[in-house]
Amino acid sequence: MFTPTYLAQQLINALNLGSLYALVAIGLTMVYGILRLINFAHGDMMTLGAYLALAGISALVLPAWAALVLPMLVIALVGVLIERLAYRPLRGAPEVAMLITSLAVSSLIQNGATMLLTAQPRPLRVPSALTQRIAFGDLSIAVMDLGIIALAAVLMVALGVFVKRTTIGIAMRACSENLRAAQLMGVDVNRVIVVAFAISAGLAGAAGVLWSSKFGLVDPFMGFVPGLKAFVAAVIGGIGSIPGAMLGGYLLGFAEVFFVAFAPPELSGYRDAFVFALLLIVLLVRPAGLLGRGEVNRA
Amino acid sequence: MLVLDNVHTYYGRIHALKGVSLSVERGEIVALIGGNGAGKTTTLLTISGLLRPKQGSITFEGQALTQHAPHQIVRLGVVHCPEGRQIFGRLSVLENLRLAAMHRRDGQAVRRDLERVYALFPVLAQRRNQAAGTLSGGEQQMLAIGRAIMSQPRLLLLDEPSLGLAPLIVESIFKVIATLRDEGVTILLVEQNAYQALQVADRAYVLETGRVILQGPARALAEDPAVKAAYLGG
Ligand SMILES: Nc1ncnc2c1ncn2[C@@H]1O[C@H](COP(=O)(O)OP(=O)(O)OP(=O)(O)O)[C@@H](O)[C@H]1O
Ligand SMILES: [Mg+2]
Repeated sequence: MFTPTYLAQQLINALNLGSLYALVAIGLTMVYGILRLINFAHGDMMTLGAYLALAGISALVLPAWAALVLPMLVIALVGVLIERLAYRPLRGAPEVAMLITSLAVSSLIQNGATMLLTAQPRPLRVPSALTQRIAFGDLSIAVMDLGIIALAAVLMVALGVFVKRTTIGIAMRACSENLRAAQLMGVDVNRVIVVAFAISAGLAGAAGVLWSSKFGLVDPFMGFVPGLKAFVAAVIGGIGSIPGAMLGGYLLGFAEVFFVAFAPPELSGYRDAFVFALLLIVLLVRPAGLLGRGEVNRA
Repeated sequence: MLVLDNVHTYYGRIHALKGVSLSVERGEIVALIGGNGAGKTTTLLTISGLLRPKQGSITFEGQALTQHAPHQIVRLGVVHCPEGRQIFGRLSVLENLRLAAMHRRDGQAVRRDLERVYALFPVLAQRRNQAAGTLSGGEQQMLAIGRAIMSQPRLLLLDEPSLGLAPLIVESIFKVIATLRDEGVTILLVEQNAYQALQVADRAYVLETGRVILQGPARALAEDPAVKAAYLGG
């Protein structure tokens, strides 16, 4: 039963799911790193991205690439706007104030989408070229699955280069290490935060488009569960660490897919319980997460 | 060049600065001395904009600093080298230095300053690609000062640069401070090491529980019996 083909198939599934979790987890970890904000509205950026893709494909008949890029850009902008309107006024207030606000933003988006668009899940039909399967011997893989894996990898490598090489990337890492000292070095913190929110929301928007294309449905609450899983991924990887979020995302994808593939069928309903058990184990062994370094002088 | 007039700063309800007035003239080294919790760091943080005064004014070359954000104050030429070094341990030495010059547009001059920092502290050049967190305490202080130089200070605020360092390193740090002054950088130096500070400074202020209690030429203060008793170990 566990033939090489079956294993390869599961591997592809795990990479797929892992890529999506990683894309979402990166944004959570970036924003947390700088503002110590657990952004509960992050998953909703996926939802908004998915609705935009739906509108783009079904109403405007955009080509597939545009139905991905456009939502990404628009959601990046939405992320910046939310920071400006909802979070910036609370800068300097106790951290919990921002956290509660992000919950409010999240429910605003979910309820707003329900009112305007109804809670009815809508089907998203991707161009048939993407659902075609390519055969590799016994194994057949959908073009879209390969696309998701490759695209996520490209986005993550690009982000890595950006954070490593550009001055604003260096500033971003400095801010997440010591925000006050960064200001004393002449770093315009607001600019760094704007860039972080744009990237964070843009990546989540892209993940939302990919997620809804893969599973074929869009609804107002679709971002909630993946957002939660991405949070788990970010914590497993060490929240605040971008490589950690990537690692955590892939680990979670693998854990989920292989749990369902190998556990007895009557247990596969406990997939999420397994995920959280995994989180607990990692945190027991490494409280700061796999690549986290704990708190260093935040004073 | 810098004038503080009746500055009051609070941490919540804690009244940390209770009407501090002081001034720094171009080209001077001014020392700010005082014991633990006197308000020295608070004074510097209020100048550099991380803390806002409740009352009083701070002007730098005629501009009210209290209306500027911390990063704008750096651009005006007021650069704060913070207490405890606060280098970015996960960034490389070179990244720390580049970051501090990020707001500058004069690429040529930035490169010259980088060479100047490497000339002042050759060990930083050797370790340029190493994570700053792996440096020794003395090297981290050198990096902190090097970083401040990269921000092109006209007025440098130095908070306890000698804290916790071996005597030999303290010696070399104070030499660099004198060199910077000779190159035209004005310096406001906070120290608990009053002896060293009064040696290098032109004038000094003594701070106690948020108030200036003494001020004058550094030489005169070093001879003052009260200062000797309180800060120079008799
Ligand atoms: N973050 C803070 N929250 C509350 N009170 C503070 C804070 N930082 C400093 N204080 C208080 O403000 C007063 C002045 O502190 P400050 O750090 O300016 O002293 P200092 O002269 O720099 O001392 P040291 O030589 O120990 O560095 C002290 O009474 C201190 O307890
Ligand atoms: Mg201090």
